[in-house]
Amino acid sequence: MNNGNIVEIKDLKKGYDKGRIIALNGININIKKGEFVSIIGPSGSGKSTLLNMIGALDTADRGLISVAGNNLTEKKDLSDFRSKEIGFIFQLHNLIPNLTVLENVIIPMYGTGLKGHEMVSRAIELIKYVKLHDKANRNPTELSGGERQRVAIARALANNPSIILADEPTGSLDSKNGQMILQRLKELHEKENVTLIMVTHDLKVADMAQRTIEVLDGKVQN
Amino acid sequence: MSFIKLMAKNPFRNKARLTLAVVGIAIGIATIVALGMVTEGLKVSIEEQLKAGGADFVVMKNTSSESSSYTIKDNRVDEISKINGVKQAAGIYTSSRVVDGNQLGLAGISVKDLNMLGAKMIQGNAYSDDKNELILGKLAAEKMKKKVGDTLTLNNDKYTITGIFETGNKELDATGVLPLKMLQAMDENNGKVHFIYVKINNNADLKAVSQAVEKAYPGELTTISSIEDFQKANDSLNMVETASMAISLLAIIIGGIGIINTMIMSVFERTREIGVLKAVGWKSRRILGMILGESVVLTLLSGFVGILLGVVGIEAIIMFSDMAMVLTFTPALALKALGIAVIVGIIGGIYPAIRASRLPPTEALRYE
Ligand SMILES: Nc1ncnc2c1ncn2[C@@H]1O[C@H](COP(=O)(O)OP(=O)(O)OP(=O)(O)O)[C@@H](O)[C@H]1O
Ligand SMILES: [Mg+2]
Repeated sequence: MNNGNIVEIKDLKKGYDKGRIIALNGININIKKGEFVSIIGPSGSGKSTLLNMIGALDTADRGLISVAGNNLTEKKDLSDFRSKEIGFIFQLHNLIPNLTVLENVIIPMYGTGLKGHEMVSRAIELIKYVKLHDKANRNPTELSGGERQRVAIARALANNPSIILADEPTGSLDSKNGQMILQRLKELHEKENVTLIMVTHDLKVADMAQRTIEVLDGKVQN
Repeated sequence: MSFIKLMAKNPFRNKARLTLAVVGIAIGIATIVALGMVTEGLKVSIEEQLKAGGADFVVMKNTSSESSSYTIKDNRVDEISKINGVKQAAGIYTSSRVVDGNQLGLAGISVKDLNMLGAKMIQGNAYSDDKNELILGKLAAEKMKKKVGDTLTLNNDKYTITGIFETGNKELDATGVLPLKMLQAMDENNGKVHFIYVKINNNADLKAVSQAVEKAYPGELTTISSIEDFQKANDSLNMVETASMAISLLAIIIGGIGIINTMIMSVFERTREIGVLKAVGWKSRRILGMILGESVVLTLLSGFVGILLGVVGIEAIIMFSDMAMVLTFTPALALKALGIAVIVGIIGGIYPAIRASRLPPTEALRYE
């Protein structure tokens, strides 16, 4: 990693179904540390695939991908990398329904060496940050869509990641709740200097970012 | 929240499935516990009977010998009583009859040897060897509603009850004891006994005397002074144990298959969730541990339910069927049941756990 780039991608290719589907067809991107980037493009163009590669949820067929100083094409066990560097926010909150808000936020902290009470106080801090402290002991099923997505933000921040990857985080919300989520994310980027990479369909939302990358048929458009 | 609490919480998400799985495995565990109580009880009862009276050891037919008969010629009784160190030898013949619809165990012993049974007369007196008389165990008398002076019909002959006795052993107390000659005649087995109870002199050595008896009748007779000796000489207890082990194994296999099924369904339903756990940085090992842990929580719970079910079940069966059977529940049996439950949990959980831990995260997250 050099010249302040936290993400460096060169000629990244990824196919599915034994190469019958080409999801990424030679991607080249650099993203600076602390940058807020949005990714747009039509459905099926490869946005989610690209985001998942940056988060090391999937491995490349060809090309180079380096994130926060880790060469992801070489590493075998990527769970530590994900735990330390990445915070994911999905379109659907994906919270665990039988656990409370507090417990959901604690989930990523297992195996990080934190003691039980340290986990709890860290989780409470994060729940306060997303303004849900009065609902810490509720189950996700008792929350509104916007509140659930706020819990997902708190969960993504659990291990103090250097990069937040958000895949259409407002996609399932109405505009008022969507605005609130975006406000939180923007604040996070501005105050905490977190690198934020966000996939969206909405051009107005994409405009909030410092830079917009457009993906089409598995390639970056210039 | 600790990781253990997380594992303990998950099986309760689907209550209907949890109940089904727990009932399935609990029945298996209950079978193991019930059979264990029966075999343990059998051992305890045999041991009690061995130790009941004044007998120091019991002589039995060596069943591995040529003849398959269990009976001993009763002239052996006199011969054994003359062996050095032997104080008293008593021949015992055992049988059973259905009396007024009740199965009644019978023991024939000469009145002068009654001391060997360890029976205490609580009502009336002992019988006379040459009369149609008998004494009843306390439990047998209660069950048949008989008292001293009443009569019993055995093989069309009337027998007068001269006394009621008690030994403290449930099985012995449910039997009737009568003159040896009478019982032998009833079975047309004159001159034959099943056991010879032997009492030794105060200064004699138990081992030396019992070995002297075995040496006098090589291959024909064997002596028993402990449950271990009994098991060596008599296949019946071993057979009961083997049968109960086979049934237990079957219960475990059925329970194990049930658990595999339950856990595979649970993993399948939570595919997306497992993808999220991987996305937040959980190692495959932790996911494996969680599913395996959930499986063990499930079977351990089934273990406790099964123990309760087994104890209550077998006690009820014995009570309602009026069987004179000693049941023994030991902590070792409870531990064995829980141990088996844990093993079933691990064996049944391992495949679903491996499957969960190997789910590719992106595919898991795409799962609808
Ligand atoms: N695990 C997979 N197996 C097979 N094909 C896949 C898989 N993941 C993605 N694809 C395919 O790869 C292509 C790119 O998918 P991707 O999810 O990255 O698109 P996207 O830009 O995020 O679309 P959307 O806006 O609808 O979310 C699509 O054709 C998709 O069907
Ligand atoms: Mg997508």
